[in-house]
Amino acid sequence: MSNVSEQTPEGGAPLAGDHPTYFADPIQDTLVNMLMELAAQVWVNRERMAALEAVLEARGGLDPDAVEEYRPTPERAAALREERDRFVAGLLKEIERLAPPE
Amino acid sequence: MQSTDTSTQGDGEQSVEALPALDRRADLSYLDFVEGFRAFVLDDTSYQRSAEHALDHLESINGIRPSRLEEFKSTLDELPAVQMHNRLMRTQQEMKWHKLAPSLGARRAELEKELADFDDQGPGKLLLDPDFQPPGYVNVHFHLQPGTYYKDSLSGFMYHWGTKVFFRGDDDRDVLHDKLVDLVPPPADGRVERILDLACSVGQSTTALKRRFPAAAVWGIDHSAPMLRVAHRRAVLLKSDVTFAQRLAEQTGLPDDHIDLVFAFILFHELPIRIVAATVKEMARVLRPGGVFHVFDFLDSASMSPLELYHRDFDARNNGEAYSQDFCDCDFHGLLEANGFSVKHTGTGGGYVKTYFAEKN
Repeated sequence: MSNVSEQTPEGGAPLAGDHPTYFADPIQDTLVNMLMELAAQVWVNRERMAALEAVLEARGGLDPDAVEEYRPTPERAAALREERDRFVAGLLKEIERLAPPE
Repeated sequence: MQSTDTSTQGDGEQSVEALPALDRRADLSYLDFVEGFRAFVLDDTSYQRSAEHALDHLESINGIRPSRLEEFKSTLDELPAVQMHNRLMRTQQEMKWHKLAPSLGARRAELEKELADFDDQGPGKLLLDPDFQPPGYVNVHFHLQPGTYYKDSLSGFMYHWGTKVFFRGDDDRDVLHDKLVDLVPPPADGRVERILDLACSVGQSTTALKRRFPAAAVWGIDHSAPMLRVAHRRAVLLKSDVTFAQRLAEQTGLPDDHIDLVFAFILFHELPIRIVAATVKEMARVLRPGGVFHVFDFLDSASMSPLELYHRDFDARNNGEAYSQDFCDCDFHGLLEANGFSVKHTGTGGGYVKTYFAEKN
């Protein structure tokens, strides 16, 4: 951990500041954060596409507010959640390289 | 965007969707990603496997498995999988708040008006203290939440959204709070007329207590006015007749021997140790003899595995849990007994929480 907060709570642990680093090279911390931000944005796009497709399928056309207002059915929401978890697992599978084999 | 509506849970209890809509659909899906990201990191076995491998190695060298943090912290800090885990734990919290704060902030005027519209509605009451001075110890970005718990007019909405992501879905329909409230035993004589929910935040356990004990007068207290306003709005939507008051856990202003049941969910690890002691003393004063004090809080250090000790230290420093280490290191069981409580039951569910069910002698 680097960089310590200027907050001075009564007793307790010194808190990390706004930009702590966890790797020897701070560029690595930055790259991880960039990657996760990129991944979040990819997911945002995928979720919107899924909503768009569902709306088009249901209505046969696209109203400007339709995607913004769309709510998945419980079944579709569950399927989307599973898809999300697969997406995250695929993105972060490289972490396995850092650990000894099972 | 999410909207306010009511629905019925599987157990037949009425619930409510009290989370305010975010500014854009993209904000909602971004947070959905963060929730999944968090779930993956928490379940990541490569981190655990690497740490256990290193602990095995230290044991093979020294002939004894290290048990104190200072014996293995520097070793674990150097492991690539641990460094990555720590980075990702911090990153997911930062991403959550960096999205929530501007998204709710974009709707600030609208949300502030909504809170104002609910402040004077019933059936319950909202008792804010215009002269209230927050003690210095709450000036902490707990869980990295921007603006602390009380400085932003939208702190309550921010907290509610934050816990939705943090609890990985268990918070969406108050599932967690309902479950914990259902676990607590009433006093042995069965008398439950007055209940106090300590540091109630957005009031999810407060209304759950009212659901379980409908004839009782239920109070939720907290230092944060923005939290209490959100709690009150939520209770109004639920038609739950509970009272929310701006008071401190260590200084409730309630009469002696007044309360039958006190509930405290993950409060004590957020308090400096002198306030932990003062709060237990205050509960001994306000509970009537035979009244019960039920606490759900962090596991004590003595019961933690080496990896849990490591995570607790990391979490304290990197997730704004300033006082948690001191609480985990203290003898909370002994503190209860020293203040005239009999601890009837302690337990862990295999997670980070320990329960103390105590009775005032």
